[in-house]
Amino acid sequence: MSPSTTAAIINDLGALLLFTMLLILAAGQVYRAIYAVAAQSLFIAIAGAVLALATHNADLWLIAAITLVVKAMVLPWVLHRVLQRLNVRREVEPVVPIAVTLVLAVAVVVMAFHLSGSLGAVQQAITGNALPVGIAITLLGVLVMATRKKALTQMVGLFASENGIFFVAIAATQGMPLIIEIGVILDVILAALVMAILVLRVRSTVAADVADLSRLRG
Amino acid sequence: MAFLVLLGPLVTGAIQKLKARLQSRTGASVLQPYRDLTKLLRKGTVEADTASGLFRMIPVLVLAATVAATALVPVVRAGSPTFPLGDALLLLGLLALARFLMAVGALDAGGAFGGMGASREMTIAPLVEPVLMMVVFSAALAAGTTELGTLAAHRGSSWLFAWDAADFLGFAAMIVLLPAETGRIPVDNPDTHLELTMLHEGMLLEHSGPGLACMVLASHTRQIVTLGLVSSLFFPVGLAVGAGATALLFGVTAFVVKVALLATYLALVESSYAKLRLFRVPQYLGVGFVCALTALALRIL
Repeated sequence: MSPSTTAAIINDLGALLLFTMLLILAAGQVYRAIYAVAAQSLFIAIAGAVLALATHNADLWLIAAITLVVKAMVLPWVLHRVLQRLNVRREVEPVVPIAVTLVLAVAVVVMAFHLSGSLGAVQQAITGNALPVGIAITLLGVLVMATRKKALTQMVGLFASENGIFFVAIAATQGMPLIIEIGVILDVILAALVMAILVLRVRSTVAADVADLSRLRG
Repeated sequence: MAFLVLLGPLVTGAIQKLKARLQSRTGASVLQPYRDLTKLLRKGTVEADTASGLFRMIPVLVLAATVAATALVPVVRAGSPTFPLGDALLLLGLLALARFLMAVGALDAGGAFGGMGASREMTIAPLVEPVLMMVVFSAALAAGTTELGTLAAHRGSSWLFAWDAADFLGFAAMIVLLPAETGRIPVDNPDTHLELTMLHEGMLLEHSGPGLACMVLASHTRQIVTLGLVSSLFFPVGLAVGAGATALLFGVTAFVVKVALLATYLALVESSYAKLRLFRVPQYLGVGFVCALTALALRIL
């Protein structure tokens, strides 16, 4: 595959990633956000496969496969199970209205694209517009974590954030060393499991929500 | 142009039929909208006592604005037209004008439902129209022109693989927008006359006879104009460049296939979603707004 074709495909996947991120932000119900983050991981796996095809880097194939299995299938399944076990209200409870979050999201995306223009040298090493898209998704993930009250939605935000970082990492032409990539993915799995168990435990013992923590005074 | 106006009710009929089949009903024939129209044309007109002379003109004006808009959509031929009629801006302007006139007519009649429908329609309109504009602008920026035929020709026969990132986001915005612009389920329900749920129907309540026929035909036409706009902006495949008979025939076939696909999408959305509460609609359209704005930002930055 020629570099320009690869760049075009990565650009398009970047747009789809942004779209799924917007869906996560706009999701009114928790399970929609979970499906959206699963779709996002799927696109990242496709991006990994495309880059593997372009750079003939065998490690990237492995990374794409692991991403597909772990992030696009196992993690959403875990989140879905937790959601069912929790038996909570299915609506996400935003701190600020979702419409406001969407406006903030536009500002973040535009800023990410504007600022990444000033990183000329770094931008050269990365395929297509992966850098601004990655930055935007990472920041939007943080936005999701900051503006949602439910622990489960905050987890979705964390995974989206992680996806953004991962996208930039695999788009940096040679990719990171395999061992680091696998380490990162293992971290994510572990974090997901720990958080899932914690959420279930906290819920079953004290029936508390993240929002209740703000009333905690030492 | 006449082709679009004549085809408009058929698209509505096809969507109704497909919806009925999806709900395991036989459904009315796809020609039912034509029968409704001819029936309405034969009937007399009843008017509210409070209505002014303007009220009688409204249906004709609305239909005229919408039909004029059909002339601007490149249906079978791409490339700059032989005589310049207007561009995408005029098209959007005409659609907005039709919407405005419809709301004015509903308010003029003085009925409670008309006013309510108009106020709801005007609540939705400022969310729908900017999105449509931004999608068109983001395509126009790439082509350097707002003339729709030239725009479609610039796209050439590009298919999904030649799409930019901005095209994907623009198309996503359009997908979100389509049900709102055509007055269909997540935003409006075309089948009901229940006062709680209706937007568009509320504005038509006071009209009757040939006037109502004009309004209904205008909304059929508006729907096919929107579908035609989407297909020429995003799928300009098969648009004839020359004037040969085979090329034109191919263009017509391609157009019918594209509109059929979009109509299927609308029917599927209608059968698989519930209508949103009015206050949730801005959030739904907000997704489209953000997508369109991002698409525009991607083009400019």
